[in-house]
Amino acid sequence: MTIEGGVQYSKIAEIKGPLVVVDDVENAAFDELVEIETNEGERRLGKVLEVGNGKAIVQVFEGTTGLSISGTKAKFVGKVMEMPVSKEVLGRVFDGLGRPKDGLPDPIADKFIDINGEPMNPEQREYPKDFIQTGVSVIDGLMTLVRGQKLPIFSGSGMSHNLLAAQIARQASVVGKQDDFAVVFAAIGVQYSEAEYFRRSLEESGALKRSVLFLNTADDPAIERIITPRVALTVAEYLAFDLGMHVLVVMTDMTNYAEALREISAAREEVPGRKGYPGYLYTDLSTIYERAGKLNGRKGSVTQVPILSMPSDDITHPIPDLTGYITEGQIVIGRDLFRQGIYPPINILMSLSRLMKDGIGEGSTRADHAEVANQVYDAYSRSQEVRALAGIVGKAGLTEIDLKYMDVGDTFEKEFLTQATDENRTIEETLALLWKIVSKLPKNEITKIKDKFVDQYYKEE
Amino acid sequence: MASNSALESTIDKILKNTEKNILTNIKSGLDESQQKLDDAIPKLESEYDKIISNGKKEADKIEKQITGASDIGVRNKQLLVLEEAVERVFSSALEQIANADRSGDYANLVKTLINEAIQILGTSEVTIFTNTKDKDVVQSTISQFSGAKLSSETIECLGGIKVKSKDGAMTFDNTIDARIERLKPLIRKEIAAKFGVGN
Repeated sequence: MTIEGGVQYSKIAEIKGPLVVVDDVENAAFDELVEIETNEGERRLGKVLEVGNGKAIVQVFEGTTGLSISGTKAKFVGKVMEMPVSKEVLGRVFDGLGRPKDGLPDPIADKFIDINGEPMNPEQREYPKDFIQTGVSVIDGLMTLVRGQKLPIFSGSGMSHNLLAAQIARQASVVGKQDDFAVVFAAIGVQYSEAEYFRRSLEESGALKRSVLFLNTADDPAIERIITPRVALTVAEYLAFDLGMHVLVVMTDMTNYAEALREISAAREEVPGRKGYPGYLYTDLSTIYERAGKLNGRKGSVTQVPILSMPSDDITHPIPDLTGYITEGQIVIGRDLFRQGIYPPINILMSLSRLMKDGIGEGSTRADHAEVANQVYDAYSRSQEVRALAGIVGKAGLTEIDLKYMDVGDTFEKEFLTQATDENRTIEETLALLWKIVSKLPKNEITKIKDKFVDQYYKEE
Repeated sequence: MASNSALESTIDKILKNTEKNILTNIKSGLDESQQKLDDAIPKLESEYDKIISNGKKEADKIEKQITGASDIGVRNKQLLVLEEAVERVFSSALEQIANADRSGDYANLVKTLINEAIQILGTSEVTIFTNTKDKDVVQSTISQFSGAKLSSETIECLGGIKVKSKDGAMTFDNTIDARIERLKPLIRKEIAAKFGVGN
């Protein structure tokens, strides 16, 4: 924070969508914070998108509604947007721009950090390999989350991704270690009722004291959504790398973020890419997702669970498509399972955690974890084929072994996948359920598990 | 008599058979119930463990809820009390600044403020605004800056100056109020540190 800058300009050349073009500007910098003052003295924040030829294009976070060319003033603050951080941010609720929303004063800052973050030196990155228990069986058992990973949830409109996000935020913990754990929750363009649900859910479970909430609701200006994930990640990085905490960042809904990006891109008259999103969508998303990880010699970690709703459940849509290139796997919410009333309706056959193999096994979960998970994947996949076959030939046309696989599929969905929203299963309970499913198969069908584990855990019914 | 003894022997047989059947039934019933009891013991134990484990989970959850809510409640009250104290320090400091003596070094401060503003705006063709109290000091200092002119309009502030380029397109607020506002987060931190909060 300096006393430099602070020049106020009163020549507004143009107001276009969320952008304000200021004339006769000298010495403005890219990303510099701008305070826009309206005729009525109201102040809004913005940032410089482009400078040149004596003009500066300013993106106004709170929108340009009500601004007029005459009388509007733009003050260039002389610094980029910063988030005041300290340990006191834990248990606080902020809006999408990082301003207190809980009626309490601004946190007394230990540091002011540029919200764009510092790039992580790739050479300094440590490979993520420590297990995070979410208490959700299907995630812990079959698509395990590890510290420093970025594992998105791909969902569709109206499905229960927010319930799942809140459950993960409430229940996530580091098992068997006394390390500090924190959750940073960024709600981007969610409905008011959803934002309230997140806040209440964390409050009532007592998890709020180790959480920081950033709430940008659907009626907040869309442009604010560009900032929300960045302020959330800034706080997460501070908690992780300055205070040594293990931080889980849940961001929902990244689709709203991409929509805001498209809005700005359209206002800047940029050449549109796929479905009107800017051509730099991939690069832009990576500046958010790549802020997850662990650093050599630092105690903490930032783990990301971004949630995005796929328009028309289309997994080839640019947002999930480009997200998938950057992240390390995906959890896909299935419409069919959701319609059947199953919670969480995770389609395991389309889901995958690429770093799971390094975060499970002896010393982190249990030695048999990988093998029993593979066997269940295999059995469930086979049960889906058998179900499809039964749809054609009828159940009577199935062999005895086919019927067993059908039973496996049913048990998997009813007993393993289905879980109450307040049910926090330990990894031992999850593995016991996986073995219960495997035990429905005759021993000669178990081909992916070592005999010693079969002898130890298989219980024929 | 012979027929009576035959009858008695038949009845005896029937009674013995019935007795045997009843005893067998009782024994098998006993065995069966014993077996059921034996079978039930591990189930009972597992149910017992499940109930205890669920109870523990529930208790942990409630404990977390209670301690979490009270921790947050206490912390929030502490934040409010601290903020109140910081605000009091601020208002007392502002009062002192407003009533500060304008003689001595104050003219040098005004000179520095004007210099800084001219440099930042990049032009010396400026109009300077100040409050009624500082007008004389500013007027006497302004002669050192060619192109600078003191506006007849006064502004409301604790002290310092506001500088506008002649064409009115650029303004730099270098009042004491604006400088305090710019540095407020850092000053808050310093004040909080005096109360033993933060670094």
